[in-house]
Order: sequence, then structure tokens, then C-alpha cells
Amino acid sequence: MTLLTVRNLQVTYRSETAVSRPVDGASFTINPREVVGLVGDAGAGKSTAALALLGLARAPGAITGGEVIFEGRDLLKLPEDDMRAIRGRDIGIIVQNPRAALNPLLRVGTQIGNAYKAHNQSTEAEARKQAVDMLRMVGINDPDRRVEAFAHELSGGMAQRALIAMALSSRPKLLIADEPTSGLDVTIQAQFLDEMWQTVQATGSAILLVTQELGVIANYCDRVLVLHDGRIVEDAPVRQFFESPRHPYSQDVLRLFRERGGEYPAQITGDRNFLKTDALTKHFPLRNSKKVVQAVDKVSLSIGRAEAVGLVGESGSGKTTVGRCLLRLVDATSGQITFDGTDITALLPADMRKIRSRMQIVFQDPYDSLNPRWTIEDLLAEPLRVHGTPDRATVRAKATAALKLVDLDPALLDRKPRGLGASTLQRVNIARALILDPEFVVLDEPTSVLAPRARNGLIALLAKLQKDLGISFLFISHDLTTVRYLCQRVAVMYLGQIVEEGTVEQVFSTPRHPYSAALLSAHLFPDPINRRVDHPVPAALQGEIPSPIDVPKGCYLASRCPHALEACRATAQTLTQLPDGRQVRCMRVVNGDI
Amino acid sequence: MTDPSGPSDLPPLAVRKRDGLFIFGVTIVTVVCILAVIGPYIGPYDPTLTTPRVAYPPPGLFAIPGTLLGWINGTLEYPPHWMGTDASGYDIFSRVIAAPRTDLAIALAANALSLLLGVLLGLIAGYYRNWGTEFMMRVSDVMQSFPVFISAMVLVALAGRSTTNIVIALAFVYVPIYIRLTRAEVLSQKSRGFVEAARALGQPELTIALRHVLPNSMTPALIQSSVTIGFAILLTAGLSFVGAGVRPPTPEWGLMISTGANQIILGEWWPSVFPGIAISLTVFGFAVLGNALERRYEEGQ
Repeated sequence: MTLLTVRNLQVTYRSETAVSRPVDGASFTINPREVVGLVGDAGAGKSTAALALLGLARAPGAITGGEVIFEGRDLLKLPEDDMRAIRGRDIGIIVQNPRAALNPLLRVGTQIGNAYKAHNQSTEAEARKQAVDMLRMVGINDPDRRVEAFAHELSGGMAQRALIAMALSSRPKLLIADEPTSGLDVTIQAQFLDEMWQTVQATGSAILLVTQELGVIANYCDRVLVLHDGRIVEDAPVRQFFESPRHPYSQDVLRLFRERGGEYPAQITGDRNFLKTDALTKHFPLRNSKKVVQAVDKVSLSIGRAEAVGLVGESGSGKTTVGRCLLRLVDATSGQITFDGTDITALLPADMRKIRSRMQIVFQDPYDSLNPRWTIEDLLAEPLRVHGTPDRATVRAKATAALKLVDLDPALLDRKPRGLGASTLQRVNIARALILDPEFVVLDEPTSVLAPRARNGLIALLAKLQKDLGISFLFISHDLTTVRYLCQRVAVMYLGQIVEEGTVEQVFSTPRHPYSAALLSAHLFPDPINRRVDHPVPAALQGEIPSPIDVPKGCYLASRCPHALEACRATAQTLTQLPDGRQVRCMRVVNGDI
Repeated sequence: MTDPSGPSDLPPLAVRKRDGLFIFGVTIVTVVCILAVIGPYIGPYDPTLTTPRVAYPPPGLFAIPGTLLGWINGTLEYPPHWMGTDASGYDIFSRVIAAPRTDLAIALAANALSLLLGVLLGLIAGYYRNWGTEFMMRVSDVMQSFPVFISAMVLVALAGRSTTNIVIALAFVYVPIYIRLTRAEVLSQKSRGFVEAARALGQPELTIALRHVLPNSMTPALIQSSVTIGFAILLTAGLSFVGAGVRPPTPEWGLMISTGANQIILGEWWPSVFPGIAISLTVFGFAVLGNALERRYEEGQ
């Protein structure tokens, strides 16, 4: 028997000038105890559809048709009072922003208790006990103390868990989770989803998991619904969805996953030291203090001609600073950078300017990295004008060619960035970086603000450009899936240091450094065969990242590492080459202990 | 469907149609601007020449229709004094509508000068942060800590009572506001991605400052202009009122209030009340316009 049946659901947004229907005839079912993923582009109406299941629509929207049958009753026809009883008791919801969803004035325990009392006859003491139990169930340490906490005393991950505890306190039959992990770091995301999944197994609820991430779908969902143009265009078990998606939109979303199944990119041959850093270090001074922020610590990296090297790590690991040092956007504190045999570390500005036409960078935020007052043509012309005095016709021709290179319509030349989408703007950025035919490009998380489908398109484009034009890439990213697709070699950074460096195959299939292993185990690869929930997950790292101001004396990971010994805490670790060619910064790995 | 992740455009002017205050502000500012051009020529009398009728009151409320009719039919001996005449026999109405030429010209010139200087210095102070620009900011703090009116008065007293000196004095007291506004915006704009992108291209710093940072940092100062012009008019009038402004018989609101003030004790209220209303409306109009522009700008952000 199905738990929930939705037929022809329609939500209409009416403004003075336009009528739009983000949800227009969506039909699907959810079975008891089933985890169902709902995917679609940003703005495709996923959240709208999820809210409509509770009979709610954000102004100025209204539910204008269809039925939502839950346990034999059409929720859309129920009187408001009955509907309110169902919300929270039978159908719970977790929204995107955990902090905004918790009342800052009430203790967490009180809020969970209130949610429980709203739907169950209970005393204050019972409600409190229930709150403690729920917090324990969602994996919060020391729940007896945490029930007394206010929202601002909880970290983002903990606030999110408190919300789950609240949503599940009356053991709803269905839990709607609307992008519950957007904005969390990868390691926390995996932990959180594990806990949500386990909790739901215990309470016997079904989940409708709204997400854009294929990794989340593959690892946690039983079935997938694809929302496109307001309708459910695909409804398939998760394995079938990844193996043989039927709808063209789904095929598009899964392109990256399907094109390069298990293969790793081939290694390059030839000049391995096209760009090379030697003990590159960057310290940022702190105001009114003699201490420094140690952003980058003796990073030695080499990138071959036409090679793509990935630089991965959590936020705050110093990867972006490395990229900016390479282009001399910030000057290194010490160390050396060699580009095609020239030491550029202390090059004079005039000489550096000549080199700049050969090395470029694409930034993370496409909205921020294009001057909003310039036309696309002027933006593309800027590099040409800095490095020459081209006439108008040449500029026009080159700008047109550059747009075509990144699969954009040359008609965009006269537009301004305002009003263009993120993926278009990022392509303009790439076109701008490539217009001078550079030999080396730093890509600083170029896809992190894009929706999955746009991300696939951009990564495929970058892979093609790298192959066709023979450019060297430093690809900075926290998204391991794209690194695996695009790069030949990868370096893992932790707290400003490279902790492991090797071919993508070496690092991804058998990570040796405990941090690489933890990072990889936390990453949700879009692979429904090896689901995270089906096999025991290796222990995650304990505790917090140490501050880059007071770095530990010995191994930086020692305080969080399950393999740490006294010796690790006492002695600084060095990056050592292993027989298979990779480098690891861990004496226990080098000694063969782990 | 539109891309919801994209930044929203500035709301088009049409959206503001219902904003009555904005319309009111625009109307007043437009009228004042038109008067600044044609005001001295359209009044019934020459604003700088006296008439034989001294301290004539304006027509009473009930006499207005009859006067109007007589004026249209040409049966009056002389054109009516809609706002009366002052103790010297000047027609107040002609002078009230001629005054924007003086007041607005001074205010515009002062604003243009302080805007130019302030934006330039603000750009330098925001873009290059060293002891020199820090010193400049402290100096502008000190300048701002003096009451605007006193500073302007002292400056005019020291430099001499000429229109040029009044403009310079006003510009001087408003420069710190523009420096501060522009500097704050420059500080936020210069850390944006496109500035770093230009640097990565090898664009010289001066070009980056002038072509990337400056155009994106000017909006707050331009919006402030509207408010500043309004207050500059008030300040011009104030200077004339205390005798540090333009010289009589130049038609100027502050001067008119000042000369009329002596008559109030005799019950002759009209020589100062009408120019007073004109100043209030004008300053209000510019302030409202400035406010509306600022709101539009913030919504656009």
C-alpha cells in the first residue's frame, strides 16, 4: 500500500505581469519506509512541490489543482485544523537553513519538546525526556547538556541535527527533507546524512529527499523522481536510474557519470616540471599581533605541460591561496615558483606582465569576477588590450571565436553580465582566460556555484579544452567527483600542507594518508552499487581542524587521527616519496605501519 | 521561467509610479531647475528693480479671483504683486521665482566641486591605504566635526564675500562626506573578483582603479548629491541671512528672509514667509528625491 499519492499537482505563481507554474501536473507516489530522492535544476520547483505536499505554498504562489492523498484522505481538501494536525505529526519537514528554522530565543530542548507536545498528550517532564532521547538518536554527544543550548551555541551541523530531532520527535510517517545539507562541508554532510538515514530506519519513516546532488541520491535513496518543466519526467529505482536513465534530461544530468565509468584519465608524458613550486609558503600577518595565519606551508608542487593537477581539501585548507600565489596575486612569504624555466617569484612588474599572458585564472564566483558595468565584448577585449593594441575588428573576431570556443552564442557580445545565469557567466570567464592562448590556467572551484547539470556541461567543456588546446590546469576543488573526471594527478591539502600527492588513481582508489582516506570516505560518489548505507563506513575524523594561527608542533592531523602515536604529536612530518611514486606526509605510512 | 539565482535588476522606473513622495520630489526639483533657467524673465517685474509701492501686502484670499480676472482682462493699472512688496518696494513674487538662478547655481557648482574632489580623494584613500591617506581621513574627520554652518561662515568671512568664495566654502564643507562615502564603497569594490581578475591579466593598478573600481564606487556619492544640493541651497540662504552670502539686490531667498525679518514686528509677514516656504519646499524636494534614489539603489543591490 502506498503512503502518499500525488496526482496532477499544480502550483501557480501569479504576479501582475506574468503567470508561472513551477509545478504543473506532477504525479508520484511514496511507499512506507522508502527513501525517495527528488532531483531537478535550481529553480525547477522542487521545494515548491515539497511544500505543496503539506498544503502550503509560499506567497504569491497558490496550489491550483491536483490531489495529495495521504492514508486515504486528500490533504488539499482537508479543513485547516485537520491539516495542521497532520503537519508535524504525520508529515515532518526539514528546511534548508537550519539556523533560520530554530527559534533563537528558545532552548533547543524546549523546541523539540514543544513539537512533541503539539501532537502528543504529555507532561513537561516527558517532553523533555523525549527531547533528550531524540538528540541522542540523531547522534549529538552529551544530549542532557545540549537540550539546554540555544541555537547560536550549536554548530551548523548540530543545528541541522536538532532540526531532524524536532521533525522526527513525533515519529512522522513521512519526512520531507529539503536540501538538508546545502552549505555544509563534505565531511559533515556525510555524517549528517548517515545519521538521518539511521534515525529514519529506527523510526520507520519514509523520506522525500529534495536535492541537487547525485552523490546524495546514489548513496541514500531507494528511488528517484526527476522534476523537470513542472512534471515528474522520470520515476525509477536508483540503480536503474543510474544505469539506464530514460528521459533526455536525466541522461544529461548523468552524462559525466556515464561517460567515464571506472576509467581514470591517462597520464601525460613529457615535461613534468612546466610549473613548479619549491617550499612555497604564505603567511598572513595578524593585526596587532606578532602571530601569523599560516595559510600555505612549504608546498612543493609540479604541474606538467598539458597536465591537469587537482588540488583538493576542505574549506580553509589553503588551496585557493596556493592558486593565487602561483599567479603572483599575492606574494609568497618564502619559497620559489618556476614557470617554464623562469623563476617568477620575484619578477619585476613589467616582466611579470609579459608572463601573465601565458598564465590565467578562473575564479569561483562568476557573478563577482566580471565587472557588471562592462559588456561581454569589453570584458573579452580587456586581455587583448592589456597585451597589445588590437583594432576593433580584430577584437570582435577574437571575442566571437572565444565565445564559440566555450559553446556560447556570439550574440551575447553586446550584453552585460547582469541578468545572465551563473553557468553562462562562468563560460565567459573561461573564454576570457583562454583568449590569449595561455599555457597554464588555475581553475579555482569554477563549478562550485553551478547546478549539477550546468556543472557537468562545464567540466566536459574543460576536459575537451584541455585535451584540444594542451593547456596545463591547476584544478582547485572540493568536489572529488569532478577532480576524478578531469585530472591526471591530485594533491590533498590539510591546514596549508600537502599531505598526499599522486596520480588520481593512486589517491582515489587506495588513499594512504589518514586524512585523504577520511576525505574520500566522506565524499559521496554517485555510485549506487557501492552505497554508503549498505556497508560499514570507516570512522570519520574526530574533533575540529586546528587553528592555522597556532599550528601543532608535530603532525597537523595528530589531534584527529585514529592512528596517531606520541611520536606523531612530537615530530613534524615530512612529505616522503613511496615506492609507487606518490608522496605522503605521514611517518606511520612511510614506516609501513598503516 | 527565469533564473532565480541571477541578481535582480534595478526595479524599472514604472514600478515606482505609485510612490507619491518620489513624484512629489521629482516635480519640485524639476520646477526649481526650470525656474533657475527662466525664473528671472517670467516674473511680472524685474527682480532687481524697485517699484513705487513699498511694503504692499499680497492680495487677500478672497481678493485673488478678482485680481486674477482684472489681470487677465488688462484692467489693472499695474501687474498684481502676488506676494506683496517689501520695505524697499521689490516685487516679492518676481524675486522668489528668480532666486533659484542664484541659489541653485551656487548649490550645483558647490556640489559638483565637492563631488569631484571627494570622489577622487575617496578613491585614493580607499585604494591606497598608507599613512598619507590615513592622515587625510583624520583631517576630514576634524573638518566634519565642525558645524557645517560655522565652517562655511568663517571661510567666507576670511576669503571675502564673493559668489566664487561661497561656492568654494560650501564645497569645502561637503567634501568630507563624499570622501567617506566613496572610500567605503571603494574598500568593498576593490576586494571583488573582477579587480583581482584584472590584476591577473596584468592590468596596471591605475587602470584598475579608474576603470574597474571607480565606476562601481560612484553610485552612493551620486545619490548623496541630491541631498547635498538641497542642503547647499539651505546653507547658501543661511549665509545670506547672516550677511555672509550674496550681496543685495541679487534675488536670493536667504537675503529676502533676512531683509523681511525686520518687518515682521510691524505685522508685515509676507517679505520673509514666501521665500521661506520656497526654501523649505526645495530642500524637502531634493531630500525626498535623494531618499527615493537611495532606496532604489539598495533594492537593486
